Amino acid sequence: MEWERVDTKRAYEQIRERITTLELEPGSVINEQLLAEELEMGLAPVREALKLLVHDNLVVITPRHGLYVSDVNAPDLEQLSELRLSLEGLSARLAAQRATEDDIVILEALRQEQAGTPADDRRRLFDIDHKFHQAVARAAHNKYMADSLERLFGLSQRLWYLALPELGFLPTAVEQHLDLVQAIKNGDGDEAERIMRAHVGEFYAQVREVL
Amino acid sequence: MDTNSQPNLVLGIDTGGTYTDGVLLEYETRRVLAAQKSLTTKRDFSIGIESVIDGIHIEDPSAIRMVSISTTLATNAIAEGKGKRVALLLIGYDPDLIDKFKMAERFATPNYFFLDGGHDLYGREKKPLDLPGILAQVNEIKNRVDAIAVSAYFSPLNPEHEQRAYKAIASVCDLPVVLGHQLSTRLGSVERATTAALNASLLAMLQDFVIAVRRAMERRQIEAPLMVVRGDGTLMSDEFAARTPVETIHSGPAASAIGGRFLSRLDDALILDVGGTTTDIAIIEQGQVTVSEEGATVSDYKTSVKAANLLSIALGGDSHITWGHEKNVVIGPERVAPLAYLAWKHPIVKQQLKALSMRTWSQATPDSLEYWFLLREPQESQTKSQRERDLVEFLQDRPRPVPEILKHLGVLHVAQAGSSELMRQEVIGKAGLTSTDLMHIEGRYEVWDTEAAAYAWKVFCQYQFRDQEELRGEVWSQMSEMILHAALTFLSKKPLELRDRQRSLEGADDDMGRWFFYNSLYQAHPHLETSIRLRRPIIGIGAPAGIFLPSVAKALHTELILPEHHEVANAVGAIAGSVMVEEELLIYPKLSRDGLEVFGYYVQAHDVRHEFEELSAALAHARELSQERALGAALRSGADKPEVTIEEETDGLDTYRIRAKAIGNPRLMR
Repeated sequence: MEWERVDTKRAYEQIRERITTLELEPGSVINEQLLAEELEMGLAPVREALKLLVHDNLVVITPRHGLYVSDVNAPDLEQLSELRLSLEGLSARLAAQRATEDDIVILEALRQEQAGTPADDRRRLFDIDHKFHQAVARAAHNKYMADSLERLFGLSQRLWYLALPELGFLPTAVEQHLDLVQAIKNGDGDEAERIMRAHVGEFYAQVREVL
Repeated sequence: MDTNSQPNLVLGIDTGGTYTDGVLLEYETRRVLAAQKSLTTKRDFSIGIESVIDGIHIEDPSAIRMVSISTTLATNAIAEGKGKRVALLLIGYDPDLIDKFKMAERFATPNYFFLDGGHDLYGREKKPLDLPGILAQVNEIKNRVDAIAVSAYFSPLNPEHEQRAYKAIASVCDLPVVLGHQLSTRLGSVERATTAALNASLLAMLQDFVIAVRRAMERRQIEAPLMVVRGDGTLMSDEFAARTPVETIHSGPAASAIGGRFLSRLDDALILDVGGTTTDIAIIEQGQVTVSEEGATVSDYKTSVKAANLLSIALGGDSHITWGHEKNVVIGPERVAPLAYLAWKHPIVKQQLKALSMRTWSQATPDSLEYWFLLREPQESQTKSQRERDLVEFLQDRPRPVPEILKHLGVLHVAQAGSSELMRQEVIGKAGLTSTDLMHIEGRYEVWDTEAAAYAWKVFCQYQFRDQEELRGEVWSQMSEMILHAALTFLSKKPLELRDRQRSLEGADDDMGRWFFYNSLYQAHPHLETSIRLRRPIIGIGAPAGIFLPSVAKALHTELILPEHHEVANAVGAIAGSVMVEEELLIYPKLSRDGLEVFGYYVQAHDVRHEFEELSAALAHARELSQERALGAALRSGADKPEVTIEEETDGLDTYRIRAKAIGNPRLMR
């Protein structure tokens, strides 16, 4: 995405963050004026940013009721999980076939960071997990897939925050990441895909349970 | 095409050290429609900017086609060490060499790290890149810094290691990352590292600034492109400025020079810009501000940023006039609020000054004429000690002179008053006698309280046992002497220490340079007449220019030109510049490992590289590519019908530089 304006970019990032962390609740009405004041920004960049967020499916626009934060519900969860499961699997498979040495250094660094992060620092662990998935997608060297996954991730992130109060961090994740890096290193596409699908599947299973 | 008769209006703003100036200009006719000055608010520049926009009467905001702004924000932040915290990763730099020549202190950040990698003079990998080491370092420091800068050895020739480092760092953390090769094609590795570190430290600040200006514009329903003045006086888009804040180093003085040229229509001149805090000197040659080729230096940090060649001295209209140890008059370097201004805001100050002027001299102490006043209510976090709270409390209802403050706090010296931090944060301001007060007395500039200024000056002269008029004359000649000295050392590039004027003129000082300087000014020698003549006219800029500069021009035997609206020429300059984009491509041979065989030639264009067998093909491609890239970038930056010129240069090492410059007027919104 090419940015025209500095303030639009900042507004976009800040509003997106508020939506994905549920500070702006799913289904709540968005008051542009109020939002602009809170962010200490002009109205124009906030409007531009909201348009971009509509494109991301995080904001919904209706002719009658104006703007509101898109809802999260069970059917959404199912649709999201089935698509992400297959895409993440494909991403891991391609990464195993195409990862460069640099890609592997990056994955390795993220895995180590994850292993060294205390289990109760859940936000940080989630952030590292996010970066890990992004790094795998980048190692797959298909930018359309990386873009698609990023969008899906943004939508899933809200599920995670919804479930967070009751969700324990998946202790298997550290191990899964280790195995996944190894499979990618070995160029074993089947194994990489299998581990990734199991990893993502487990996440949705947990969220489903909580919701 | 342009058939409507509505004029194109543009708004220029300059945020200087003391004042924020704004002008509304009719673009084609160069007519200044309105001008406005307001005080710069360093804690939040947008306040000063908004009050300038508010002060200019704009009938129809939709008629404004462009807003352009120059700012000392970057320069000041560097000088005051107020940038964000940066980690600087040096790839392939030699730690021993850096240590031996004590170059580390030039990096502009204490957090620098040496990592393996880098290329050589022919773009060949010197050592494999230590990517795991980089990521481990980033992981270790990322919570203690706000941005990361990366500079790899010879990255302009081959940026591969910087690019790989960038991808990896951006994958593991969210901090902004700045790469050396994106900022400069020069080969000086230390300057490039410094530039990258400074750029990283200023990113957030410039972004905040651009957003603040945008917000101010929006509140006034001004919907137009926003441009920012570069250090060489050309314009760049706000988005570009937010990414490359180092490019705004010297932006203010460069805008002044451009504005002076624009208003005077002279193509060759010396520009003297007398502001509130500083006087800046620059040269206009063939219609352009002369640029310092070796890169701008700010606060001893040498960068590889091209910026106006200029000298800035701490002397302006609001320089503090005090007396030194031997009761000699001292002007500057500190800037204070004029007493005329303070008394105008707080009439009690005038009463106090009047009472003081009636007493005998022995009751006045040198600091009786220095007042402290509350600029704004401090936040709780800003008053840490009891003394600071006492001080703020004491100034709550009115300004107080220093002796009264010391007495109240029960301390003997100003250093004990707990004021320095509060002054730095602009909670407490300082007022005193300035040349602005003297201008009030002489009736040359009267916007505030002239009587108060007169009382203060009377006290000052009584204390010195001097005649008021005579001493005023001395202040003026001392100021022009300082400006003249600056102009002379700047143009000649030779140092000259100013001291002992009387001894020098009487022949008691052996220094020829000093004698020549003073004799040319005061013609004291019975037989030898000396003089200094400037070959081009002086363009005076800034409100006090008309007062300080006639004597300077006279001493230099040249003409002083004060174009109409010279007091806001800096703001005019913000809109008078052209949009310029430079694309420099490097061509260098591809050598065998042993360096004996040439396999072909590389064309390196920032991030992409092409390979050719023949040099001629490489050069042809570079010319075409640089032209294409410069043109595209200029259009994206808001240039209207940019024209491209190409310069070629070789450094003798079989390396060629093809530089395409695309210049055009800013494209006005329709």
